[in-house]
Amino acid sequence: MNWQLILTAMLPEHLLLVGMLAILGLEIKSGRPRDGFALAVLFTTAAAVAAFWLYATGFTGAPFLHHFSVGPVASLPKAVLLALAIPVLLISRDDFAETPYYTLVLASLYGACLIISSDSFPTLFLGIEIMSLPVYALVLLGLMRAQSVEAALKYLVLGGAATATLLMGIAFLYGWSGSLSISAFPFALASGDPLALAGVALVTAALFLKAAVVPFHAWAPDAYEGASAPVTAYMATIIKAGVLLAALRVFGTMPVVAPVAGLIAVLPLVSMAWGNLAAIRQTSFRRMIAYSSIAHAGYLFYALLGDGRGRWEAIVFYLIVYGLMNVLAFAALPRGADDERQDRLDALKGLYYRRPFAAMMIAIAMLSLAGLPPLPGFAAKFLVFKNVLAAGYTGYAVAGLVASYLGLYFYLRVIQYMFMAEQEPTAARGAPRRLAVVASVLCLVPAILLTFFPGWLIDRL
Amino acid sequence: MAESTVLNLILWLPVLGMVALALAPKGTDRAVRGFTFGVMVLQLALTAWLYQRYDSSVAGLQFETRIPWIADWGVYYHVGLDGLNVLLVALTAFLGPLVVAGAFTAIQKSVKLFYAMVFLIQFAMLGTFLAQDLFLFYVFWEAMLIPMFIMIGIWGGERRIYATLKFVLYTAFGSILMLAAVIYLVWSQAEATGAVSFSFADLGSHPLSFGAQSWMLAAFALSFAIKVPMVPLHTWLPDAHVEAPTAGSVILAGVLLKMGTYGFMKLGFPLFPDATRAVMPWLWTLSVVSIVYGACLALVQTDIKKVIAYSSISHLGYVMLGLVSLDLIGIQGAIVQMVSHGLVAGGLFTMVGMIYERCHSREIAAYGGLAKILPVYSVFFVILTLASIGLPTTSGFTGEFMALLGAFNAAWPQYQAGQALPLVMAVLAVTGVVLGALYMLWLAQRMLFGEVKAPHQPVGDLVAREKAILVALVVAIFALGLFPQGPLAKTELAARDYQQRVLSSRLPEAAP
Repeated sequence: MNWQLILTAMLPEHLLLVGMLAILGLEIKSGRPRDGFALAVLFTTAAAVAAFWLYATGFTGAPFLHHFSVGPVASLPKAVLLALAIPVLLISRDDFAETPYYTLVLASLYGACLIISSDSFPTLFLGIEIMSLPVYALVLLGLMRAQSVEAALKYLVLGGAATATLLMGIAFLYGWSGSLSISAFPFALASGDPLALAGVALVTAALFLKAAVVPFHAWAPDAYEGASAPVTAYMATIIKAGVLLAALRVFGTMPVVAPVAGLIAVLPLVSMAWGNLAAIRQTSFRRMIAYSSIAHAGYLFYALLGDGRGRWEAIVFYLIVYGLMNVLAFAALPRGADDERQDRLDALKGLYYRRPFAAMMIAIAMLSLAGLPPLPGFAAKFLVFKNVLAAGYTGYAVAGLVASYLGLYFYLRVIQYMFMAEQEPTAARGAPRRLAVVASVLCLVPAILLTFFPGWLIDRL
Repeated sequence: MAESTVLNLILWLPVLGMVALALAPKGTDRAVRGFTFGVMVLQLALTAWLYQRYDSSVAGLQFETRIPWIADWGVYYHVGLDGLNVLLVALTAFLGPLVVAGAFTAIQKSVKLFYAMVFLIQFAMLGTFLAQDLFLFYVFWEAMLIPMFIMIGIWGGERRIYATLKFVLYTAFGSILMLAAVIYLVWSQAEATGAVSFSFADLGSHPLSFGAQSWMLAAFALSFAIKVPMVPLHTWLPDAHVEAPTAGSVILAGVLLKMGTYGFMKLGFPLFPDATRAVMPWLWTLSVVSIVYGACLALVQTDIKKVIAYSSISHLGYVMLGLVSLDLIGIQGAIVQMVSHGLVAGGLFTMVGMIYERCHSREIAAYGGLAKILPVYSVFFVILTLASIGLPTTSGFTGEFMALLGAFNAAWPQYQAGQALPLVMAVLAVTGVVLGALYMLWLAQRMLFGEVKAPHQPVGDLVAREKAILVALVVAIFALGLFPQGPLAKTELAARDYQQRVLSSRLPEAAP
């Protein structure tokens, strides 16, 4: 074993692991909750920097041949994901004083990193499980109300179903190719053999389930609503990103052939339309974001229709923008003691007149998620649909654009509530929390830079 | 070099203004108003200087800036003046300070946000006119929606939420299909030439099949026709106009509606000439239906703002008629009519706002005999009414007359060749002038003459600020009516280019 290679290539993962152990150790030793938060931020930042350093130096290597490899294509998404976790941790501080929260988040991040670097199905499977398992607990943590228990249970059961489906798919693929390597997947796609296609379909279904694509989406609104805001933010950004990067890993860079295009386009298309329409009816902010994330899962899977490098570019850029905007919305969201009441969309009414900057930031997040130019959400959506059209799927692209139009209304409604509605007399008037402000600035600054200079990032991808 | 810097400065001044407003402390409403007005005046001064420097004997772009924006996609930050946009940019800059000054007393709530939105709209509108890159154009085009959404939604009338959502959802639907066509157009171009480019200049040349042209024209036209608006896609306009605050109405009527006709002139028709010529009879018919139907609807309204809103539909029908006539005089008439309508409708909405501020009613029936109690107001109202009718010596005459003349010039040879439709349409379009005189004069008669009636008495006549706004508008209206040669000369080469491009063909050569 080449210990040096393992140490260098897996530096981000090691840092997360050390952070996890340090938090656990500290809790045993002192039981002071504050250190858990500080250590988690410290080690996540270090891991993000390490991943970025691996990317910047163009480090390539496979510490575990055929199972785990590192290259710039993997290091950048890792850095993005870890960097997005920092503001999520910052907004968690006020809700979660307990150390287990931070241990669980770092563990989940570790799983996400494994996914991105996986070369074989066992590694991918481990990554998905390590990423998801802590989240079942996270949903339950903090607020022990009936709703959270229900949400966690639903999430757990459906997550378990996804696990079983994924394993079944892997078994089929192994039976067909005799290999556990992920690189067999594109060949199975192209083969047209029933066994291979059954495996492909099962693996895809498992990914759809994890990413909450219609009709496998039912768990998401309940889980998002039942969890507390920071956990919802974590699920909407990091988990979604992790699953999409798993899909990117599995589908590789081979262009999709026409019959398979139907497999990866139709359900995401339905997802966009249904997510956007169902979001209109929601009265809870987190439920609305859940349906929004269902629609966004659709756009992200659409990106797989493009080919090769463009696919990676589109998904990574989209995840950056989408993640920033979701975290920004949650960071700017006013929070109060009564979490359930604060979650109602009505609580946002007249927000601009109470907290103008919070309202502005939520507005920016919503408009960007709606994909309205000049905000970066537009460039992200443009990149996806451009690739779909360039790959020759004109019909899917037009249908997808129309489906995305359906989402405009509910995003605008949030702005309408904040700017144009009378505020409710009972609305909370608490001052903004300091860490939440730091988190929103961390998201806002790159968002503004991407508005004016999207080319800077796109040219580098 | 210096000129292109000034052009960029004109475009970005509103953004600088917005940043300054964001940093302004609370309770500085007076300073905010003064500052915004100052920035707008500075913008106007720079535009006037640049307008003087614009050389009407040079074809193509002047004062160009072209720097890579998203190099990977071939997207450039590319702005410049040409014969098609120079007058519209001047109009936008001219209306800016008037809109700001007109809102000094009307807007008392969230003053800073209001002026920030005015800045943002101004930026987006100028950007749409100046953009020479399709991506940039689309970004600016869509960026207009949100500030307008907020402006109508916060400072609008009673049904503002309904009106503003209708406005945004209508226009956004058009744009989303346009986006599909934009991407398709660019990628078909990339396949033909091997290099991705969004530049207007590059997108006009590669061959396109008739089918592709038709689909893309349909997508572009839907978006532009909603914005114009052309009957039957006009239903958002009366709601938006009636509910918008005065400043919003002036911006909408003054500049925003011209985006649609400008889009047709700059992109829609010249990019897809074969498809355009194939649907010519439809375009003629829809233009004339807009003229006549808009005028008829204006006739039966009981709300002053609605009369002017429907008259806008009618007047923009002339613009469309001039554009589809493909006659040089008609095309130039269309451009002048855009500017003229911006001045006249902008002025009329400003005046409705002034009387609304005093009496809080827009019902025509609530007023009467204003000439006796508000003599100065009435004089200006009559002048603007006459300009709207198209009385000779006003800008309205120049625009409508030239557009109609162009239509007849184009229709007569077609009639001789056995095509009667254009001539019938041209004759019907003339009835729009008669109807226009009818509804506007009737409106003026009911409001200004007869028994003295006003919901709030006594009513004070115009103050110096309001007089100054109207004097500026009236001077511009007469200047364009009496001395149209200068502006017309600036548009001539571009109008010729437009004519030539729509008459040419970009179908792929048939295999020998």
